[in-house]
Amino acid sequence: MTELISIFVGMALINNFILVKFLGLCPFFGVSKKLSSAVSMGAAVTFVMFIASTATWVITEYILIPFEVEFMKIVIYILVIASLVQIIELFVIRTNYALYNAFGIYLALITTNCAVMGITLLNAQQSYSFPESIVAALGAGIGFTLVLAIMSGIRERLEMSDSPKSMKGLPIAFITAMLLGLAFSGFGGMI
Amino acid sequence: MANMLRKIHPIMFVTLVVLISVTLLVFTETLTSAVLEERRQQQIVDELGNIFPEIDNFVYNEEIEVFTLYAGGVTIGYAFLAIGAGYVGDIAIVVGLEDSETVKGIIIISQQETPGIGDRITGGGFISQFAGLSINAVNFKQDGGQIDGITMATISSKAVIDTVRDTAIEKVKQIEGVE
Amino acid sequence: MASFSKEFSKGITISNPIFILALGLCPALAISYSLDNALGMSAAVIFVLLGSNIIISAARRIVPNIMRIPTFIVIIATFVTIVTLVFQAYVPNLYQSLGIFLPLIVVNCIILGRAEAFASKNPVISSIADALGIGLGFALALIVISLLREFLGTGGISISLFEQLFNAGSLSFTLPAFSEHPLAIFVLSPGAFLVIGLLMALFRWIGQKKND
Repeated sequence: MTELISIFVGMALINNFILVKFLGLCPFFGVSKKLSSAVSMGAAVTFVMFIASTATWVITEYILIPFEVEFMKIVIYILVIASLVQIIELFVIRTNYALYNAFGIYLALITTNCAVMGITLLNAQQSYSFPESIVAALGAGIGFTLVLAIMSGIRERLEMSDSPKSMKGLPIAFITAMLLGLAFSGFGGMI
Repeated sequence: MANMLRKIHPIMFVTLVVLISVTLLVFTETLTSAVLEERRQQQIVDELGNIFPEIDNFVYNEEIEVFTLYAGGVTIGYAFLAIGAGYVGDIAIVVGLEDSETVKGIIIISQQETPGIGDRITGGGFISQFAGLSINAVNFKQDGGQIDGITMATISSKAVIDTVRDTAIEKVKQIEGVE
Repeated sequence: MASFSKEFSKGITISNPIFILALGLCPALAISYSLDNALGMSAAVIFVLLGSNIIISAARRIVPNIMRIPTFIVIIATFVTIVTLVFQAYVPNLYQSLGIFLPLIVVNCIILGRAEAFASKNPVISSIADALGIGLGFALALIVISLLREFLGTGGISISLFEQLFNAGSLSFTLPAFSEHPLAIFVLSPGAFLVIGLLMALFRWIGQKKND
């Protein structure tokens, strides 16, 4: 149990996907201008991470390792993630259109999101067991959502502040991310 | 019929692309894995003298991936590579055993732990604790073993300890199986 | 030939993937703490970009439209796996320090983006120019970032990449007084955000000066 908790805290706070591991930066800078879209994106990424980790764990454990074709994992993981995203998208369109309107556009962006591919590769690299992979995926997703939400709150205010012309937009967002990263490095001593 | 073909064609196309891709990759893997295996062995051979200064000959058993070491015709120990996941990436350790129960010494040959924190596992103070320990005593003091971890780098030091102990237990079984 | 050089130079300057388009940021921030990493990553990205651009542009007329993206993904993933295997065998230290960012080239927006926006619509020659231009633009950005980070963060620069490859000597240079008290923040993760943020602002400032 302590093992799982330390994986969760490690993934969510200490090795935060965005601030420390630098995974999923495109949505971080792309959709962190409004709080509501940041939370939707975070939730969509967390969900896909969870499903993708489950699927790739099963494939790795029962196909890649027994047949000794682990070197095929890049091709297989990316195909699994791409098809999962498609299936989820179809499913959401047919069952809950309101949900699709809220999450749909983010789903399409998720295939090429390195956070999702990243968590599946990390699980494989650490040879996590099934519960460990799931906890790692949830931790990473929640940490991702948390930082996305914090960042969007800050950026909503930054829009109104008077920063130099060449710093407006992305550059100032990077400087803000640095300060957030420094703050998060304080979690380093927890484990 | 033509309609059917039009529907199936895209799927057949992607299947073909995947087949070509798999063929190429299997080919590349066969080429590179030979180089990789040779390099791994060389890395162990390079470290043998550092763990067993008196060594003058060795025999490599490919099946169980263990070096049996000799000095003056007498077996002086065994060596093998232990790889485990650290806090950041894989840690590769050459482990030397005096006999089927005692560790002679270990050397970390590659790791990516956090600079200044986790990478202190390569420091002599931590590594030297392994020398002369019985395999079962390779554990933290609080867990019934004889090793002091590194402050602030518990995960990295635990990774080394667990990798060394678990691989050693497994290899000893294999060595005894062969003999 | 004129169009070749046009496609080539646009990637380095006006549509520089990192500083202007802000694409492929994850590896640019994550592995740019040393010059060795930057050179290795650039070589890998250029190889994958060139390979996938050539194949996709050569096959652009026979790829069924609805299976376009899956086909591109398989082609790109194949090249990425080849790079990963080759790095693992021939430059193991680099392979280790690039970690998961080597396989993650497969989801690098730059590569799928060029396949979809350029190579699938243009002939092979201009796709090669496009790949080389964008690839070198990425490489230059990475090299500038890593030079700044490694120098400020460790007080010197060292290259050991060629030592691993050809048994040549390693190049290194340190600034004596500074290397004893370097600004370690630059090799840590917050420093990456700072360096890229400032460089982006600089690029924009130069752009604005030119426009005025």
